[in-house]
Amino acid sequence: MRWYVARRLAWALVATWLAVTLTFGVLLAAPNPGADAAAAQCASQDRDPEQCRQQYLESRGLDRPAHVQYIDYMTDLAALDFGYSESQEEPVTAAIADAWIYSAQYFVPSIIISVLIGYSIGLYSALNRYTLTDYLGSFVAYFGISIPNFWFAIVLILVVGVYFREASLLGVSLDALSLRTYYETSYGVFTVENAKQLIMPVIVLATASVASQMRYSRAQALEYANADFVKTARAKGASTWRVLVAHVLRVALVPLSTILIVDILAVLFAGSFIIEAIFQIPGLGRLQLEAITQKDTDLVAAVTLIPVFLAIVGNLIQDLAYVLLDPRIDYGDR
Amino acid sequence: MATDSRPDTFDSVDWDRVEADTGGVPVVAVVEALTFLAFGAALAYDYLIVPEGEPTVLDWDVTAVEWLFVAVLLLGLFHVVVPLARSRRMTAYYWRQFRKNRLAVASLGYLGVLLVIGVLGPAIWAAPNETISYAEAYAPPIFIGGDLASLDHALGTDAQGRHLWHLIVYGIRVSFEVGLIAMTLAITIGTIVGAVAAYFGGYVDEVLMRYVDIQQTFPVFILLLLLIYLYGASLFLIILLYGVFGWEGTARLVRSEALQRTEEAYSRAAEAAGASKLWVVRRHIIPNVSSTVITAATLSIPVFILGEAALSFLGFGDPGTFSWGRTINAGRSDIDSAWWISTIPGLFLFLTVLAFNFVGDALRDAIDPRSDSG
Amino acid sequence: MTGPLLEVTDLRTQFHTDEGVVRAVDGVSFDIGRGETVCLVGESGSGKSVTSESITKLIPIPPGEIAGGSIRFDGMELTDLPESDLRDLRGSRIAHVFQNPQETLNPVYRVGRQIAETIRIHEDVGKEAARKRAVDLLDRVGIPDAAERVDDYPHEMSGGMKQRVVIAMALAGRPDLLIADEPTTALDVTIQAQILRLLNDLQAEFDMAILFVTHDLGVVAEVADRVVVMYAGRVMERADVYDLFENPGHPYTQALLACLPGRGDATTAIGGSLPSPTNPPDGCRFHPRCPHAIPDCKSGDQPPLHPVPDPDAVATGAGNPAGTGAGGPPGEPVRAAGPYDDTDGAEEGGWDEVREATVSGHVASCIYYRQGYDATTVRHDDAAADGGSTDQGASGAAGDEEGGGS
Repeated sequence: MRWYVARRLAWALVATWLAVTLTFGVLLAAPNPGADAAAAQCASQDRDPEQCRQQYLESRGLDRPAHVQYIDYMTDLAALDFGYSESQEEPVTAAIADAWIYSAQYFVPSIIISVLIGYSIGLYSALNRYTLTDYLGSFVAYFGISIPNFWFAIVLILVVGVYFREASLLGVSLDALSLRTYYETSYGVFTVENAKQLIMPVIVLATASVASQMRYSRAQALEYANADFVKTARAKGASTWRVLVAHVLRVALVPLSTILIVDILAVLFAGSFIIEAIFQIPGLGRLQLEAITQKDTDLVAAVTLIPVFLAIVGNLIQDLAYVLLDPRIDYGDR
Repeated sequence: MATDSRPDTFDSVDWDRVEADTGGVPVVAVVEALTFLAFGAALAYDYLIVPEGEPTVLDWDVTAVEWLFVAVLLLGLFHVVVPLARSRRMTAYYWRQFRKNRLAVASLGYLGVLLVIGVLGPAIWAAPNETISYAEAYAPPIFIGGDLASLDHALGTDAQGRHLWHLIVYGIRVSFEVGLIAMTLAITIGTIVGAVAAYFGGYVDEVLMRYVDIQQTFPVFILLLLLIYLYGASLFLIILLYGVFGWEGTARLVRSEALQRTEEAYSRAAEAAGASKLWVVRRHIIPNVSSTVITAATLSIPVFILGEAALSFLGFGDPGTFSWGRTINAGRSDIDSAWWISTIPGLFLFLTVLAFNFVGDALRDAIDPRSDSG
Repeated sequence: MTGPLLEVTDLRTQFHTDEGVVRAVDGVSFDIGRGETVCLVGESGSGKSVTSESITKLIPIPPGEIAGGSIRFDGMELTDLPESDLRDLRGSRIAHVFQNPQETLNPVYRVGRQIAETIRIHEDVGKEAARKRAVDLLDRVGIPDAAERVDDYPHEMSGGMKQRVVIAMALAGRPDLLIADEPTTALDVTIQAQILRLLNDLQAEFDMAILFVTHDLGVVAEVADRVVVMYAGRVMERADVYDLFENPGHPYTQALLACLPGRGDATTAIGGSLPSPTNPPDGCRFHPRCPHAIPDCKSGDQPPLHPVPDPDAVATGAGNPAGTGAGGPPGEPVRAAGPYDDTDGAEEGGWDEVREATVSGHVASCIYYRQGYDATTVRHDDAAADGGSTDQGASGAAGDEEGGGS
């Protein structure tokens, strides 16, 4: 068991190193958009663009040999020094420190909602197959995985943010139901206003992952719904709820855990860019977008690595959860 | 339950015999080879003889993506349509299974119409930029009414007076190009990697699957943003990246499926008869995991379409194309006054993705008796 | 002993599938007395497992459905009992043991916990007390070092051990009726014998009735008091174990027995295959495979269960049950009181007398036992086909030896 954990930890380190190296390699091999921008600026001012480009690269040490840059980059990273962000005019770490809370406050609720609602509906419809609820659940799942989240966000804004403001139902104005369309940073994190303005982003972000968790959990539960040990549990006189949670879900958690974290992270990362762009939330997604449009290479590299680290840590947690969940696992394997 | 009594299925087809049926001369293979020769000649003509910037035929300057799209459509013709038409019994059986799901049949019809419009539409309807007319900007769809509404632009116009229908038609082309080309790339790579890993096992398997782990860990969307940032946005690059970084799921599926198959008698028999490993992989393993692959292929298309639309929405799409994502994004600022610009193309995108998901799931139910998505 | 413990009458269980309605159990009747062992015998697909799982509604509903009939357990009607009351019965008064011990135990829980679960579902017992009882039960079913093995996971045990755990789990509620569905089929032959012996001992100790579902006539001979032979969802023959082996009435039973090693030609197989579950043949369901089938067998409904006269009785015309003395199972009077069957629609008056005469309750669903047909056709042919065991005395002796275990 210890050996297994040690191996997974080692693997996480190797994966981190590979990911960082890959990012470095991509950045090194590609034309530097910042240098291009500097050159273009000089050209417009009638100065020698090549000279400006050279200056730009020199000032950042990018003219040195590749291996020197690589070692430098890795040592800096090990010391958690991600460089200086020109667009934010502060160190990259400071920019990230300012932004992450805005991402986390809709990200975390979305994960919790995905798992709770997704699993509940999935298990319920697996156990009540061929009923109206099951069909309704399947429909919701198709809806969730198919709807483009950016379009969903726009339609929500159109209805909740725009239409509700003016519409009334049976003489009662719906304005009370309308929500802020754009994120307001002046509210405190744990205030009602803040919670209210996060409702739409969380709904949009969670829809797709709720649907996918629901499909997975339903499929897994169906796989076990007819298993002999479930029949045994019923033959013991266990209640439906007990059979569902203590037996079906508990065993299904083993395969479900192997897809849970990576899947959720993938869905949510892609979603966070869109959510933050649409609702104008100053989180990591928007930081990344700004960095890209303003050609701020240090910031781009750092913000790219955040989800990579999260995914690697997520993978590690998943592997360890697997050990805890399945007593059959052979620690010698893999 | 009824597995034993099922007629021919992809899994049980004796692929050697299928080809032998043509009397030793695989006519289809010859026709296919000739077609692709002609395709290659046309491609060479475009790149070697036609000067840069000049249209290839008439006023159509065929882009790299369009060449690829044609190649993928031809591949689909020879490897999906022709085999289905040739083994009628198998086709009829699958159709009976598939038909049970009415929503999927409707979806298939919708996608068929969309594909035809996407392929032929640009020859009928003018490119959106040719319809720019600021006098007709923000015209609402005909069913809303209003002074500007007109049959000429039944679905309304955008901020520049471009006809929304034209934007949608050109968007269909983009979505199908992305979905089909990226799917073909991803499925090809995934199938090969999965089958090779399963068959060779040992270190080959270990290295390939560890790589798959890493690729799965690395958030592709962010990698795409990074690469587009560095190399600039082009539809060709987006499709290529989705294809090259979107195969790990297929590889996993094929590997686990193939692992079961390699243990089965026919693979061992072939090996015992002196067949090379590559032969066994190509002739026995890959055909026999085709059910899995077909389903995975269908279900990967909507993922790629959504991915490209999301990129375009964020402003990272190819500025030279009329992706639905771009149109939706452009209409976002006018959501209060001209809601149709964003919502109508979005509805098309939603329905298209939904239809692919319906068809994919129905296909799985029809051709893969083991899985049960209910 | 007042009346049978379990009384199944005209049970009909069906499944709604894409291919149509499958009538898995189609008018099955039998009863089980207290402390008695009744075997349900048939090929796979004959509906025997569905019958056993219909009793406490373990079948998946939907697509399954109990479409008719009655199941009376100790005076209670189970078919219209609410789910919550059924749950109280399951695991306490009626326990189940299933075929494959590899799959009947939940792989992620320790075995002790799984046994304790049964106890704690039905009784208000603390964790520690339940665990103690689990250890005692494991000890009782013959698991060495029970106090340590109680913390094992199922995958750490052998198949035979796991089946002992499953049996311990079933005993946890001190059931009146144990439904054992092919409990030894997945086990090695040597283990099989141990498990059968264990069940036999436990039956005496706990005074349980056992409904034993199996396709293995060798096992039947060892454990059964009485036997119900099923084919394609119908009862073909019902008899006490001695009569069945000694004097099989239905051609299907005869064919099954002929497959047993040492009886007839061991290589004999029953030709043909099970009929389509959605569209069974008219008439007797066995007629497409029956060597004696005549046109009358091929139309109408499955023939009702007719009394099978003892061969001696046929000869003397007295109907004296010769077999009962030798077999000597308990529960004899119970059976006499029980209903023979309900598929028996319109009966001619004279039959009741015949019925009274065959106290052993040996009945078969074969047209040849109806008045106006020559029952000896089935008998004689059997004798001829049986070759070596034509001599009733010889095979009777064999039957005694085999039946000795029960």
